[in-house]
Amino acid sequence: MLSINKYLFFFIFLIVFSNVNSESFVKAGDSLIWDSENKSYTALGDVEFKNDKFIAFSDKMLAYYKEEKNEEIFTKIELFNNVIIKFKDEIFKGDYAIYTREDNIIKLTGNVSIESPSRLLTGNELIADIDNNKRILNSANKDTLVEVLLENNAND
Amino acid sequence: MNLKLNKKIFNILIIFFLGIQLFIYIYNQKPLNENFSQKKITVENFSSIVLSKSGINKIGSEKLNKIDENNIYLQGNSYLENQDYKIYGKNISINLSEEISNSDDPVEVINSMGTLRGKGFKNLDYDGKIIFKGEVEFVINK
Repeated sequence: MLSINKYLFFFIFLIVFSNVNSESFVKAGDSLIWDSENKSYTALGDVEFKNDKFIAFSDKMLAYYKEEKNEEIFTKIELFNNVIIKFKDEIFKGDYAIYTREDNIIKLTGNVSIESPSRLLTGNELIADIDNNKRILNSANKDTLVEVLLENNAND
Repeated sequence: MNLKLNKKIFNILIIFFLGIQLFIYIYNQKPLNENFSQKKITVENFSSIVLSKSGINKIGSEKLNKIDENNIYLQGNSYLENQDYKIYGKNISINLSEEISNSDDPVEVINSMGTLRGKGFKNLDYDGKIIFKGEVEFVINK
């Protein structure tokens, strides 16, 4: 009986833990404006955004949504100033970022860097294709183009 | 003869002064009546429906204070509800003519995207905007 209770407790713990970890949220330090006319949310001051793909930090966030089956879903997220995006073991940094849900692509511009356990690359623009696990880093000099295919993906 | 004339003048003066006093009395009564009709109205544990440009709003509170024709104050635990959201807060001021409501007390808002908690809010109903002040946490539904 005691062992059954242990298994039951462990099972409930797993459900609760997985739900807590998968929680999506927006946090703002100064204010948040919900504009239902333009279907957007504007967050200001130490903004933190988390969805099932990544967690992002910035000074300002502008998120657009659409209504689908009586639910609101974010379609596009813009992040301004001191942008940091953590995706698995990678950290993207830049002055501005835009994420589109439709194609799962994050585009960063201005003082961009991509940091992973094995490398640190810097540039002027980063395009991170999450679905295809592909990163394209452009420098200010148009002649230089660096394309990084992650090792994990290469092994797949 | 003179004595009779003096008495008549004296009586006329008395009637004149009594008339002035009566006029002053009646004149002073009028503002009192007006003030009485403008007194605040307070209703406890109420809920009501308010029609605005953005649609029908349901409001409720532990205590409603009618400040004047355009302003009401929802004292204690209160709520505002329409088809898009439910706002649960405390001590909410509502300007009916400008369609603005606000509160400096903690607020919880539930909409079709999730649940939002803030330190206060200003709802510009005519503009379709709600501004949440201070630290805000918006937990998004799955």
